[in-house]
Amino acid sequence: MAQAVFTGSFGVAAIWFGVVVFRTSSMVRSALALLFSQAAIGGMFLAMETEFLGVLQIMMMATEMAIMAIFMVMYMMDPGGLSEMDMTHQKRASLAAGVLGAFGALAVALLAGWGPVEVQVPAATAQVHDLGIEIMERSMLIFETTGVTILTAMIAATAIAIQRRH
Amino acid sequence: MIFLVLAAGAYFVAVLERWATKGRFSLKGPVVSGLALLGRESLVPRKLDRIFFEAAPPLVLVSAVLAAAVLPLAPGLVVADLATGALFVNAALAYVMVALLMAGWGPDGAYAMVAGFRFLGQLVAYSMLIVMPITAVAMRAESLVTTVVVTSQATLWNAAYQPLGFVLYFLAAMAVAFLPPFDLPVAPGELAGGVEAEYTGWRLAAMRLGRATLVFTLALSVTVFYLGGWLGPVLPPWAWTVLKTLVVTAVMLWLGRYVPRLREADVLAWGWKYGIPLALLNIFYVGVVLLGAA
Repeated sequence: MAQAVFTGSFGVAAIWFGVVVFRTSSMVRSALALLFSQAAIGGMFLAMETEFLGVLQIMMMATEMAIMAIFMVMYMMDPGGLSEMDMTHQKRASLAAGVLGAFGALAVALLAGWGPVEVQVPAATAQVHDLGIEIMERSMLIFETTGVTILTAMIAATAIAIQRRH
Repeated sequence: MIFLVLAAGAYFVAVLERWATKGRFSLKGPVVSGLALLGRESLVPRKLDRIFFEAAPPLVLVSAVLAAAVLPLAPGLVVADLATGALFVNAALAYVMVALLMAGWGPDGAYAMVAGFRFLGQLVAYSMLIVMPITAVAMRAESLVTTVVVTSQATLWNAAYQPLGFVLYFLAAMAVAFLPPFDLPVAPGELAGGVEAEYTGWRLAAMRLGRATLVFTLALSVTVFYLGGWLGPVLPPWAWTVLKTLVVTAVMLWLGRYVPRLREADVLAWGWKYGIPLALLNIFYVGVVLLGAA
């Protein structure tokens, strides 16, 4: 029961902060609201007794969203939100996309075969161990490919951003 | 008990810092200046971002206390002996940066904002040097549990087993606590206090308390990860942890006294160009030694 309450509360917090992202005009507020939304998802992981994933989510999001704040301040014309900039555009299309996405997610959640529910959660140390084995064995190729792809994208982005010397 | 040690540690950090910066050793100094701060009016800037401005000082303190919660003082004397302890330290410390970003953006002041973004800009330069040396520590312990990390050093402290990681982590810890010569986000004399510039009265006192706790927590993490934690002869285990932590704190503050503040560009360049490759080398080295021993 307590687990359901905590998971639900963190879920509501995540959605609430997600709403705040679009209700504020300050870029830094927006970025940090997204951070707290993601950290709340980390809280949900913790409430669901997946300690490693929870801590990892809370850690990664702090740095990622803060870095996003830099870019939002750098590239938006009104980072402080002082001149009543409207954060939304193409409202109809985005509404439609949002509703469609929500139904899609719901459909996956309800229709997918999730297998039997784990009654006995493995101990936290066992989870860390099993995750490590998973990443180093079965899923190694996926993780390595993703890593190299991201690295390539980073190098390409930097190469494009650097001004050519004549 | 643990929170008492933390509070006493933070107080001792304040005494030591006063000694290192002003040259006067006074046990009652922090009480006097703390009370003075509490007695002063806490000014609030015009057109501030209220949530960030008010939330930043407590967030520094909360991050430091949370990180300390997974670090053991002695066997059994730890608030939460998490299975992901070493990772949790990173997670908690990441929010120091978030707090300073808030403190920089919140008050709508130029100095504060430059300082906040400056700390954020250096993020990768120091946070990688926290994460990667801890990875090598966890490799040796074959666990992320902080108490296991301590017991893994029974034969040889990590400071001797992986000296490169120790030096990198030590310096990065100083940078996270923005101690001189890495005191870029406060930068007295250059940014007029930086992220602390717009804070006065009890809010500044809260910020200082958070920072002192942070320094103690980081010194405690150096002790746990590299200096064998509670391991030592004669004295009770907790006394060894406290003693080592205080020595680490003193060394951190003492180092800053004799080195001029580093340039922001230099910290970034050195962190990226030398720090990260060296940290990778450390991981590789520890891996080879571990495989050799196996």
